[in-house]
Amino acid sequence: MTLRANIGFISLAGALLLLLAIPHPAMAIQPHGDPEGIVVHQFSHIFFIFSMAILMYWLRSRQLSLQPGWREIKYAALFLSLWSVMAFIAHMLDEQLGWIVTRRIDTWTMQVDSTRGGAGLEWVYYIAKLDHLLCVPGLFFLYRGLTVLSSQKDAVRDMDREVP
Amino acid sequence: MTVTWVPVISVDVMGAVLMIVFSVLSVRHAWRLNRKDPDNLVWTYLLWVAFCLAGFAISRSAGHILKQVILVSGLDPVWENVRPVSGSLNTMLLIVVSSVTLFFNRAWHIYREIFTERKALQETQAELISLNQTLENRVEERSEALLKHEKQMAQTDRLASIGQLSSGIAHEINNPLGVIQGYTQLLLRGEKPESQKHQDLQVILKHARSCKAIVEDLLNFARRSAPEKAEVNIHDVIKDVLVFIQRRAKMEKVQIETHFDDRVIPMSMDEKKIKQVLVNLLMNARHAVGEDGRIVISTRYDVEARRLRVTVADNGYGIDEKNLDRIFDPFFTTKPTGEGTGLGLAVSYGIIKNHGGEIQVSSDPGKGSVFTLILPVTAAKDL
Repeated sequence: MTLRANIGFISLAGALLLLLAIPHPAMAIQPHGDPEGIVVHQFSHIFFIFSMAILMYWLRSRQLSLQPGWREIKYAALFLSLWSVMAFIAHMLDEQLGWIVTRRIDTWTMQVDSTRGGAGLEWVYYIAKLDHLLCVPGLFFLYRGLTVLSSQKDAVRDMDREVP
Repeated sequence: MTVTWVPVISVDVMGAVLMIVFSVLSVRHAWRLNRKDPDNLVWTYLLWVAFCLAGFAISRSAGHILKQVILVSGLDPVWENVRPVSGSLNTMLLIVVSSVTLFFNRAWHIYREIFTERKALQETQAELISLNQTLENRVEERSEALLKHEKQMAQTDRLASIGQLSSGIAHEINNPLGVIQGYTQLLLRGEKPESQKHQDLQVILKHARSCKAIVEDLLNFARRSAPEKAEVNIHDVIKDVLVFIQRRAKMEKVQIETHFDDRVIPMSMDEKKIKQVLVNLLMNARHAVGEDGRIVISTRYDVEARRLRVTVADNGYGIDEKNLDRIFDPFFTTKPTGEGTGLGLAVSYGIIKNHGGEIQVSSDPGKGSVFTLILPVTAAKDL
């Protein structure tokens, strides 16, 4: 063992001994409190928007979006990414920022109040709650795209032709 | 503001049901697509995307429907217990869908590589099958070509030897013939034209001239006389020869066709000698077709190789295979005695060789023969 190695070993051992000499609570398991769930969910929406945008870009750059079948799949990606944006806004307004506060008056009536932004923001929230108006067309276009692709007589051959 | 929640609840429940329906149908079609071509990674990818989206749609929609049912039933505390589980499941599935979607580019790239390699393999396999199937034919063709080439080489060697021999003999005979011709002409001057001696001397002179012509032909065959080249258009030469032949050889009933290549340019050649070659070939063709046959003369210019091909084809009786190797030999003839010296093709061979060209023949006995002259195209300025 060289002199330099000896010095390194002695320094490391010294540092470990020093840590043992001054103990603190370990905190080995981090607690996952209340806001973490919504943060993770919002991250998932951003990730989803990103992946749909990338998919649209790839379909476009490979000129697949000009063909029947793939074109509908591109529309599906567009609607689903818009839905994700809408859902993200709704979650942000009521659960993250707390700018919208809702209270059920009865089964079919709700009280929607905004802490800032006024009635405009209340209406934005109300419309954002109708997010199925975007995700249902998204899945419909996915279904249409796959129907067209699977019903093509020579889908496999058409696919081969597309390979540059 | 106080708003009715009916549209939100209706859209939520109906939308949730529709999402389940469309996602299940999507899986069904993606499944069909994948079964159509299970080796296609892109279809497998779409099946995975459809599966994940269906999982997410069902989880989310079930959660939404359950939420509305619970809330409408007034069991709000129950929903507070279910909500974290449903929400977490949705979050997890949304991340899974996003992750799978990001594999599109990789799937496409792999598919493209597989496709390219498969195509190359298929092409190679097809080529191998084709090679296997045609191997025997190819070997046969190559062998025939080799044999033909060997025959040509042998013929060229033989003709070169004959040419050397002919040249020597012609030179040796040429001088005595000149002397015979000169002395005969001298003797003729001292004889009266009506005398028997004058007539005898005329016969000697005539035959001496014939011998001289044969000697000259032999020298042409042996390529001893250099061609006198000038820039001429081969088409004009052919037309002149045709006029001459048609006037001389009673070819009224023989159908003559010409197919000239417009790209032919004027080229350097000995016009007189090339005419002699064409006359020889056309006279032979005329003899072969009889009185009402068909002769086709065509030209073709190979611009890249700078070679001109002149073809004289007839539908006459053709040449027997056993004679094909000998037709350029001096004094070889199949015509009856007195109708030909057997020097025409030998002389033609010598002339074309002297121009740096080739003369080729192919024949189908009973159907006709094709003579092809291949001449290098050189303009006068290139010489």
